[in-house]
Amino acid sequence: MNWGTWLDYTVNGLVIGNIYALLAVGLALIFGVANLINFAHGSIYTVGAYVGWVCITHLHLPLLLTVPLVLLASAVLGVAIERLALRPLHNASRIAPLLATIGISLVLDQVTQLVFTPNPRALPSPLPDWRFQIGGGSIGTLDVLILAVGLGTAGVLYAFLRFTKLGWAVRATAQDMDAAKQMGVDTNRVNMSVFAIASALGGLSGMLVGMYYNNIDPGMSFDATLKGVVAQIIGGMGNVPGAIAGSLLLGLIESYGIALFGTSYRNLFAFVLLILILIVRPNGLFSSAKETPPEPMTGSFVARGKPLAIPRPVLVAVAVLAVFVPFVDSDYVVQTATNALLYGLLALSLTLVAGTVGMVSLGHAGLLAIGAYASSLMAIELGLPVTLSIALAGVVTAVIGTLLVFPAFRMRGHYVSIATLAIGQIVALVILNWNSLTRGPIGISGIPPLSFAGIPLYDAPQAYWFVLVVVVALALLQARVLSSHLGRTWRALRDDDVAARAHGIATDRYKAMAFAFGGFGAGVGGAVTAHLYSYINHETFNAQISVLALTIAILGGLGNITGALLGSVLLVGLPEVFRGLAEYRMLIYGVVLLLLIRVRPQGLLGTA
Amino acid sequence: MSRPLLELDKINSFYGPVQVHFDLSLHVNAGEIVCLLGGNASGKSTTMKTILGLMRPRSGTVTFDGQVISGLETPRIIRAGIGSVPEARRLFGAMTVRENLLMGAFIRNDAAGIRDDLARVLGLFPRLHERLGQRAGTLSGGEQQMVAMARALMGRPRLICMDEPTMGLSPRFVDVVLELIATINREGVSVFMVEQNASLALQIAHRGYVLQTGRIALSGPAATLARDPRIRDAYLGGEVAA
Ligand SMILES: Nc1ncnc2c1ncn2[C@@H]1O[C@H](COP(=O)(O)OP(=O)(O)OP(=O)(O)O)[C@@H](O)[C@H]1O
Ligand SMILES: [Mg+2]
Repeated sequence: MNWGTWLDYTVNGLVIGNIYALLAVGLALIFGVANLINFAHGSIYTVGAYVGWVCITHLHLPLLLTVPLVLLASAVLGVAIERLALRPLHNASRIAPLLATIGISLVLDQVTQLVFTPNPRALPSPLPDWRFQIGGGSIGTLDVLILAVGLGTAGVLYAFLRFTKLGWAVRATAQDMDAAKQMGVDTNRVNMSVFAIASALGGLSGMLVGMYYNNIDPGMSFDATLKGVVAQIIGGMGNVPGAIAGSLLLGLIESYGIALFGTSYRNLFAFVLLILILIVRPNGLFSSAKETPPEPMTGSFVARGKPLAIPRPVLVAVAVLAVFVPFVDSDYVVQTATNALLYGLLALSLTLVAGTVGMVSLGHAGLLAIGAYASSLMAIELGLPVTLSIALAGVVTAVIGTLLVFPAFRMRGHYVSIATLAIGQIVALVILNWNSLTRGPIGISGIPPLSFAGIPLYDAPQAYWFVLVVVVALALLQARVLSSHLGRTWRALRDDDVAARAHGIATDRYKAMAFAFGGFGAGVGGAVTAHLYSYINHETFNAQISVLALTIAILGGLGNITGALLGSVLLVGLPEVFRGLAEYRMLIYGVVLLLLIRVRPQGLLGTA
Repeated sequence: MSRPLLELDKINSFYGPVQVHFDLSLHVNAGEIVCLLGGNASGKSTTMKTILGLMRPRSGTVTFDGQVISGLETPRIIRAGIGSVPEARRLFGAMTVRENLLMGAFIRNDAAGIRDDLARVLGLFPRLHERLGQRAGTLSGGEQQMVAMARALMGRPRLICMDEPTMGLSPRFVDVVLELIATINREGVSVFMVEQNASLALQIAHRGYVLQTGRIALSGPAATLARDPRIRDAYLGGEVAA
């Protein structure tokens, strides 16, 4: 490549970096004052993009009017989120607001999709299309605008934090909220202002990105949140100048990475970088301390509540009834029930890891993907019998999953969630890029159906029974383990891992056992799914599934085995039963999550 | 006699199911230094949090200058004229000393008055002068205590609440800090302070209370308390013979 091309990639990297910076700065401000990673940030960015789209393509407003409107609409949305959904959670457990922002993002994304349809839209830049030639490369008007907005925002933000009273209040609140209150700072107002500012910048970022690619769609939220979070972690959580530097670095790395390796590697760099930073410099590149910043004990991170004791005869009766589900004689119902059971497997695994051991994983779908690919490939390439390949896939997933999550074992609270989220994304990206093994974007088709003792199980009831047996067996095993010494040790880790270590418990080894056990179940779940679908690709097991699994586990009560299964039936089954609701699925999940956190944080059956 | 500046009346406070205060009543008159003594976990810091609105009592009232302040948000209480020197100082470590002091004047809008007070406070704490541009987190413990006291003064409070202002200081610095408290008081600010170091605190205080598992076990003029043999046992954690 010649110099001009490099220059183009550099400009591109800086432009993208500035867009990330607009996101990351807001996330850093929010993390600073509210100690919260705002997973709804990307959704506000998307709303900003659509407000811009309405202003420009429908109302034909000039950019000078569009920008203030985007800022205003996004700020109002941010304030509403803070006021209505987050402030009431002030005294709730630490994970409550984080989960609430996930719920809000589900709701906002689905509403955006319902209002504007899922189709991508063009968002043309209203600027004249001039390009300036410099040193063999070129730079366009929009590039200049975005760079100017980035620079201008940084300047305004600096002045705000440095020279205004509210800015001082923001800094003081970020350092010590109680002390700030004792100086007379109204920290509620500070919180609200920060959400307004962060959201306004996020919305602006969304609009600029839309213009830059001349394309927006309701699915762009998740990626934006992730990139913002990654940039923020590179710079150090809550560190505003760090967030800007981290964003520019991320933008450049991505751009050069694309130049060298191609587009499909783009996100892989971001997430690998994230994991590296979390391991090597959890305080971010620009801070000296090596220790992870203090996060609460995992135990206090999760809401607690007594489990509801369900009499054994009732459980047995329900299990027996479940055997008879296929006699309703509707393939649709049976398939839905099978699907619910498969989610049950995933939820069992997650409820163990997140509830019993206290590591709230946001990348659990990655385990499904590993299991699915492992079993499919073993069945197709090696010609193994399906039952065997499924069991082996469980083992493979247990091993790979544990190794992948290993770096997160010493992390706590937020950091675990982010690391697992990134690991889940990395799994999908490796699958996408490892063409020779996984067939890349084409995916794997012609996966043999489930079979038992050599007999293929073609019809729905047979598959259902197969899954039912697996689920019941694993649930019983898990219950057994939980009441053993191992289960008690896991709960001790969750409640206070420092104390556990001080008592000589090899915490890493016990966490590994939990992930191995959970990984096996999830891997089997993924494998069975693959044989049922007969086709899978890198998007089959996406982050939405991870979020759904967490919602299920929380609905049932974190750590609660019966709860995980009940949650799956309710959340996966019910929207299908009321078919009209299927379209509003994510909306329902989001609302359920928000209501739960507010009304019954310990879940339906209580945490165990 | 006129009404007290600060009055706690039959306070009962709880952490979840655990009761910390049992019908706690005490008061501070204008112009006084009052110290609250007591062993570990007797509920001293909780008393401070209750006054400052960081915690709500389940029953009972806190009155400041005739106005009921229990139930108000902390910032409102600060604006009513109470300054705070929190336990463990709680400076804004990443901000400079100067910024910390100006944060103390957050509730004020009179730029000229703030400037004058900054000069006045630096007169009281001359050591801070050369540290103005330094990040507060890098100061020594004693210097940090001075910043915390100066910061509280910057809000021009009528009453300053101090939670263990001598904690972790060397004996020499303890004397300095106590002398400063007496000076602040002579300038017209009433002081309510929590201390474990009873004999020292009683040297500068006018009156004192001894708290024991959430109840006032002893109270009276500082000079009387200082002579009371039961005091020694009390703040060493022993029982006070009532
Ligand atoms: N946030 C809290 N949650 C639950 N219990 C608390 C909390 N803070 C204090 N306590 C309990 O309330 C009781 C009184 O605590 P407090 O901090 O008021 O004591 P103290 O007299 O200030 O002690 P010290 O001299 O050690 O500072 C103690 O038993 C303490 O364990
Ligand atoms: Mg105390």
